[in-house]
Amino acid sequence: MSENSTTQSRYIKSYEIRRAYQGGVQYPPAISGVQGASDIPTLYDLLPGYLHMPRAREEELTLERYVDSGGARRGWWVHFPKYIVSLLKAWYGEAATRENDFGFAWLPQLTGNHSHMTTVADMADGKLKGYFVMGENPAVGSMNGALHRKGLRKLDWLVVRDFPLNETAEFWRTAPEIARGEVRTEDIQTEVFFFPAATHTEKDGSFTNTQRMLQWHHKAIEAPGDCRSELWFAYHLGKRLKAMYAGSSLERDRGFQALTWEYPVLGPHAELDTEAVVKEVSGFTVADGKPVPGFTKLADDGSTACGCWIYSGVYAEGVNQAARRKPRSQQTWVAPEWGWAWPANRRLLYNRASADPEGKPWSERKRYVWWDEAQKRWSGYDVPDFVADRPPSYRPSPDARGLAAISGIDPFIMQADGKGWLFAPSGLLDGPLPSHYEPLESVIPNPIYPEQQCNPARDEYPRRDNPYHLPYDDPRFPYVLTTYRLTEHHTAGGMSRWLSWLCELQPEMFCEISRELARERGVENGGWVTIRTARAEIECRALVTDRFKPMRAKGRVVHTIGLPYHWSYVGRVTGDPANELIAMVADPNVSIQESKAFTGNLFAGRLSFGRRAATDGVELRQPEPSREQPRDKPGVQSPLRIPSQEPPR
Amino acid sequence: MGQMGFFTDTTLCIGCKACEVACKQWNQLPDDGFRLTGMSFDNTGQLGASTWRHVAFIERPEALPGQGSPLDGAQLADGAFSWLMMSDVCKHCERAGCLEACPTGAILRTEFGSIYVQPDVCNGCGYCVTACPFGVIDRRTDDGRAWKCTLCYDRLKEDLVPACAKACPTASIQFGEIGELKERARQRVDHLHERGVGQAYLYGADAANQPGTEGLHAFFLLCDVPEKYNLPPDPVVPTKKLGESWRAMAWGVAGLAALAVGSVLSARSGP
Repeated sequence: MSENSTTQSRYIKSYEIRRAYQGGVQYPPAISGVQGASDIPTLYDLLPGYLHMPRAREEELTLERYVDSGGARRGWWVHFPKYIVSLLKAWYGEAATRENDFGFAWLPQLTGNHSHMTTVADMADGKLKGYFVMGENPAVGSMNGALHRKGLRKLDWLVVRDFPLNETAEFWRTAPEIARGEVRTEDIQTEVFFFPAATHTEKDGSFTNTQRMLQWHHKAIEAPGDCRSELWFAYHLGKRLKAMYAGSSLERDRGFQALTWEYPVLGPHAELDTEAVVKEVSGFTVADGKPVPGFTKLADDGSTACGCWIYSGVYAEGVNQAARRKPRSQQTWVAPEWGWAWPANRRLLYNRASADPEGKPWSERKRYVWWDEAQKRWSGYDVPDFVADRPPSYRPSPDARGLAAISGIDPFIMQADGKGWLFAPSGLLDGPLPSHYEPLESVIPNPIYPEQQCNPARDEYPRRDNPYHLPYDDPRFPYVLTTYRLTEHHTAGGMSRWLSWLCELQPEMFCEISRELARERGVENGGWVTIRTARAEIECRALVTDRFKPMRAKGRVVHTIGLPYHWSYVGRVTGDPANELIAMVADPNVSIQESKAFTGNLFAGRLSFGRRAATDGVELRQPEPSREQPRDKPGVQSPLRIPSQEPPR
Repeated sequence: MGQMGFFTDTTLCIGCKACEVACKQWNQLPDDGFRLTGMSFDNTGQLGASTWRHVAFIERPEALPGQGSPLDGAQLADGAFSWLMMSDVCKHCERAGCLEACPTGAILRTEFGSIYVQPDVCNGCGYCVTACPFGVIDRRTDDGRAWKCTLCYDRLKEDLVPACAKACPTASIQFGEIGELKERARQRVDHLHERGVGQAYLYGADAANQPGTEGLHAFFLLCDVPEKYNLPPDPVVPTKKLGESWRAMAWGVAGLAALAVGSVLSARSGP
């Protein structure tokens, strides 16, 4: 279940509730790599292992206060100090001492929302100098692509690392606003650096799947020409930056100077030895450099270093556990010796829940983890996810602290009370229980809360170059639009639109519509159509199919237009990108875009002029609606509005 | 060496087209051009000289029996729909029209029971193209020679499974010894019948099933009439009728001869 909308977290929460009841619901991420990129995050608000990024506020300015803000007195998070101190030791080495808070003050601190869309808005407002794009193609994959390109035009420099010269690297040459003459290449000052990237077969590394299992892949061939791995890039860039800052006496550069950055290199291109990184991530004792067996051996006194506590143990005994490939015929069906799963090689989280309160399997046939009365320990096919010797009969005293506060019948040890939460009063930014709100742009009023149309905690970007439609019943935009992917292409197309064998299978941009809508609009199967929103207009072919059916909602017929979003202006096959149509608006928890439901219009024929609201396409908004429709109940102030803050010229 | 072949179970196909790509990659086949056909998600259209696996997408205004919940049934009453998917391939017929039509001996039957075109012998005459009752074999426009699925002869020589079967993530394409495959296929049909999919049947599993080809080395499990999948309902290899044609001709010649002799005799014995 993957949803991109302003109510995304509510869907997830619904599934979590189902999981708490039944177990076994997986939340598959949309792209391979999402799990790993969350664990050792590329997210702006997290440090490795889901430790929160320190915020620039009084309550978190010292290590002690930061720990107070993130630790807990009950449950597993009492160990929080060990993980942050070991992380600081891994990053700052000998320079991290108890006296200087292990270098805590050198960590960057958050001053606000720095999510992707906010960054794009800041870019368009001229507030960013440089931008690294690695393995992404935001000019195709991000919402309101024209606004994104407007941002790219205002940068001093842009670095793109990918396999092909994609649309993000070519924004100054092939974009529709250039073709229309609204923007001239010679007026763009951004300096663009393109670095060809090595593919996964050309480098060592690991994938982490949604089961949290790390599986190692070994380099099969040398990368051709100038292609290099991301690790190579980050390492050598870091070395150059360290050299630049070496002579600085500024306090703010101390972190750079203290950063541990010595790794063995291999081969003709000085590629990093990936196992050295795995060792640091897994953790070691500082005194002798010996790998730790797991996070239970991490300490908060600076005697251990660990780059990501949840991955601790992946290099236990000096062996890359993720590279294990023992066949299933030589081990149990749980296959604990295939790859390695965090935490502690547990294949199922909270697996104590597979046994009843007395510790007996709920089902003999599905027995997984159970209490072994003879050994006085938890036992099973998997590594038990519980205090190993805590009997089911154990009950904590009311003033118990830490793990002692977890009862013998409560499997959810990461929570302070050990329970799975149906009602989550803290942690989520948009309410403790799932509920229904219409997307920012809908065709009907909210049937459940007539006064509160949209998620009251959404993030909006009200700007001239990001216009929104009316909340519902906008006469200009009567249809529901939704975007999705096809099997044959990979997201923004960088890995598929340059391959002829995949291109021939899905060669052209199209939309899918019902026979009824085709009749209503005079569209023929395979014919051209134009799709318009206040942000942009695109052209594509129409695929008329019985798979799309009109729906009836609130007494009216609702037509849906389906749009795959893989195509754009460069590549073996090209076409208009669907994401140009979509407004920037985000869910409050994870800042995800609303690309699964918005509104638009459809016309038969090729009527597009390539207009974009972010450049000269102001007429896309015409006629401006004469009425105001509130999205929120009177008095609701909770939506975060991030307006344009373009400095006056 | 055993007789090898494919059992393609269309009820398991999810339309990922991994077989098409794996086939093209292993055999280094060129693309067929980049054009949207407008036929559901099928932009390949058909088997051809450079497409040796082809996944058909068939949109039907009928429910697929045995799938979904009772609730689906209620919803489907007003808009029944199902999407049939089938990975098509050369059938490697027991009695192969292409092989029998080939005048140069370029087409032969291998030790695996598959039909193989030797590209270095083929002279591009195209007789095989008209002789195939399934429209599988085709000539490439650039070099004029005839091409089709080889059952990955080069892989079989190295004890490897054909590329398409190796890539199939749902075991819709199963490769193996034909006798075993037939046994497995019949069990699968029985199983589907038990589960309420009464339409399931085997297409071309043996000579009794398909006398015109005397059975296929690549046979299918289907859930609708063959025509829905763009397969002929009763394919007959043209050469199969050769004896009959000669006999008919012999009778014709004999008849003419009798007529000639008769007319001479009757003229002689005339008044």
